[in-house]
Amino acid sequence: MTDVYIAVAIAEIVIGGLLLVRLARGPSVCDRVVALNTLSTQATLSLLFYSAFADRSIDLDVAIWLAAFSYLGTLIWARFLERGLL
Amino acid sequence: MREAVVIALCIVGLFFSLSGAVGVLRMPDLYTRIQCSSKTITMGALPVLIALVVAEGPVSPYGGRALLVALLLLVVNPAASHALARAAYKAGIPQWSGAVRDEVRERRNAAGENER
Repeated sequence: MTDVYIAVAIAEIVIGGLLLVRLARGPSVCDRVVALNTLSTQATLSLLFYSAFADRSIDLDVAIWLAAFSYLGTLIWARFLERGLL
Repeated sequence: MREAVVIALCIVGLFFSLSGAVGVLRMPDLYTRIQCSSKTITMGALPVLIALVVAEGPVSPYGGRALLVALLLLVVNPAASHALARAAYKAGIPQWSGAVRDEVRERRNAAGENER
């Protein structure tokens, strides 16, 4: 089963690489926030599967906090934009 | 048998993740990209997380954390997408030229507001 885990982790990283293109091109900051949010989700999944593959439970908490702060960041950024502070 | 279920779920999830990522790359404006981003997160991430729960069991550290991440995605992702789209609209980011309607503007025109 561990073969499946590492394969999924690598596939998620490749998909994240696709999103880096949008992160680089933008053109607006909003587009970059969308790409970054999606990229963080892929990174979270990759980290979860890698931790299952390597049997390292410490990475689990890193994955959870990565997901949580990614969404918090998106919400806060949206608030700033709405009030014209960016 | 359980391994086959896990592999099938992972393939479904990765397919949706990939198509969502391609959508974020190719869609013409911000609002359509937000829609693709949401699809990547829900239909892409959830099957993969369910696969991990199936593989490890819901009470194991890995399955439990996967469930927690799944709940987090389900609850927060709609809020984040909505907040971002609303903020972008208020900031005046234009819709794609091919967009067929703008219901917020229609509603405001009906109410007689001068704003935008």
